[in-house]
Amino acid sequence: MASVSVEAVRKRYGALEVVHGIDIVIPDGEFVVLVGPSGCGKSTLLRMIAGLEEISGGIIRIGERVVNEVPSKDRDIAMVFQNYALYPHMTVRENMGFSLKLRGAGTSVIVEQVRRAAEILSLSSLLDRYPKQLSGGQRQRVAMGRAIVRNPQVFLFDEPLSNLDAKLRVQMRTEIKALHQKLKTTSIYVTHDQIEAMTMADRIVVMHDGIVEQVGTPLDLYDRPANLFVAGFIGSPAINLLRGTLRRDGGRNWVATDAGIDLPLGGNAGGKDGQAVVYGFRPEHLALGNDGGLPVRVDVVEPTGASTFVYADLSGAQICGVFTERHGFHSGETMHLMPQLDRVHLFDAGTGHRLVG
Amino acid sequence: MVAVLDVQAGEKAPGRLSQEAVWGLIFLVPYIVLFLTLVIYPVGYGLILGSNPKSYVRLWTDPVFTRTIVNTVVFLGVAVNIKLFLALLLSGFFVHEKRWIRWLSVIFILPWAIPSIPTILSFRWMLNAEWGMLNSLIFRLTLEDGPNWLLDRWSGLGMISLVHIWKYLPFWTLILLAGRLAIPKDLYESADVDGASGLQKFRYVTFPSMRNLYITCTLLSTIMSLGDFNSIYLLTGGGPADSTQTLATLGIRYAFGMSEVEVGVTTVVVALPVMLPLLVLMLRRMRKGEQP
Repeated sequence: MASVSVEAVRKRYGALEVVHGIDIVIPDGEFVVLVGPSGCGKSTLLRMIAGLEEISGGIIRIGERVVNEVPSKDRDIAMVFQNYALYPHMTVRENMGFSLKLRGAGTSVIVEQVRRAAEILSLSSLLDRYPKQLSGGQRQRVAMGRAIVRNPQVFLFDEPLSNLDAKLRVQMRTEIKALHQKLKTTSIYVTHDQIEAMTMADRIVVMHDGIVEQVGTPLDLYDRPANLFVAGFIGSPAINLLRGTLRRDGGRNWVATDAGIDLPLGGNAGGKDGQAVVYGFRPEHLALGNDGGLPVRVDVVEPTGASTFVYADLSGAQICGVFTERHGFHSGETMHLMPQLDRVHLFDAGTGHRLVG
Repeated sequence: MVAVLDVQAGEKAPGRLSQEAVWGLIFLVPYIVLFLTLVIYPVGYGLILGSNPKSYVRLWTDPVFTRTIVNTVVFLGVAVNIKLFLALLLSGFFVHEKRWIRWLSVIFILPWAIPSIPTILSFRWMLNAEWGMLNSLIFRLTLEDGPNWLLDRWSGLGMISLVHIWKYLPFWTLILLAGRLAIPKDLYESADVDGASGLQKFRYVTFPSMRNLYITCTLLSTIMSLGDFNSIYLLTGGGPADSTQTLATLGIRYAFGMSEVEVGVTTVVVALPVMLPLLVLMLRRMRKGEQP
């Protein structure tokens, strides 16, 4: 096992730069998820760590060693690909033992390592099958088995669950997390799915347009998003964001929206009086107020069983609320909602940065 | 609705065809006529012409025929295999995504795209022992006479194979290139991470993925090369002294050179016991599709 450090790493394709100088330090044994929308550079960064893409600038270290010029096979990494990349003409056993075979390991070592990995992943009964005889989830598991067999310093995962159906995806992400807890191998996992990121990561790196927007634990990102992008990207349903002007008057702070609504703020809000801001609150941080809250008209009610999503109109802006209690909302009715003041986020409307009080 | 009503009407009057079936037959007629006149008739007539036992006796007692059989087997065995092996290697070069390689591939395809007669005739002139370009060069450089390229059975067959390979290599390279392009890139990346060298990637990824295509191409090329008339006829004309004939050219020699049409057709019929199993094998492979 080893740490991985990425220092000012850039990637250019001709004149087009797609990764603009990224710095991340991943301690030994950590499970880090790179998350972001398509085209944000997360897969490119992973492939540079893997040695499948050339590095246009900066330094990548695995352990103490700079690996910029080290070929993929000598980086002591294992990678799980989105389409699994299993060799179609090899059995599961041969697929899993292939890298050891290429490294000249003895038959007994290969047999033992394949057996160990197959046991960990419950693949023992499938060892003599060909990839085309396996289901998507089984193939996925073989791809992971192939990675485990090598006992590498670092695991790299490139959207490994995106070809699975929703139910299997949930199951596999738990398995991958459990596997990491068992093996404790440093892992870097790329996904565009923020739920996957939240549930699996020790730390999340949120990327956007080739830069890192924020690095932190899942709850850090959720509770204290550094900017509007992270606030909007993390959390489902998405955070409610309303534009307005910050007002301070004596001890009282609030945000006045253009539609004439006053949004309440806690005492420790940052920013100056008159500053253009974005007021954010998560759907689950709304309480039912009596008369004191924000008056909204209910548009759509979506019960999911565990919770109920309510989409409502707040003077022309659509907001979403999530309630775990069953209130019996009806579309068309007016109700009063109150954001929990200690959970309200405030961002500068110009820079998008979080305003800290 | 109309079709439904017609079907019901057809059911009510058994023995009469529905309107749909009649139209179907009308549309089938042109194809049936073409098939009968252009396939069944010529093939059937050929088989009748080739069914005279005397022709077989004539063939088997003619030393030219036995030599031709040997020539054909050697030509197919050597030319087809070298051609496909080279095509497999070259497809690995042309698969690279570089602009200059794209342009080079356009030039490379030319021998296949341009007509046989002028190109093969120019080979014939180049290889002429007395005044051909090749031997003129050899003479200038060494002051020795070059070999009689086309005037000896084995060097003649060698040159025939060379011209055949030159002519058809681009086509098979293209086919195998398509096969290579169909191999998912992540298999190679996975092999990179697993630690495979270039040769190991070929051995463990490329070739297993292309094995079926390669075998099918070999079968198909064998069948097609058996019918390659141009490379032989235009280069050596089957000579000298009928020593470089193959089955494709020998039929012409009997039928038109010696006015023995039945014997000429029989030379082709002789190839059927080899050809038909190859055809069946190939069609079966193609129907089965890609199976590891």
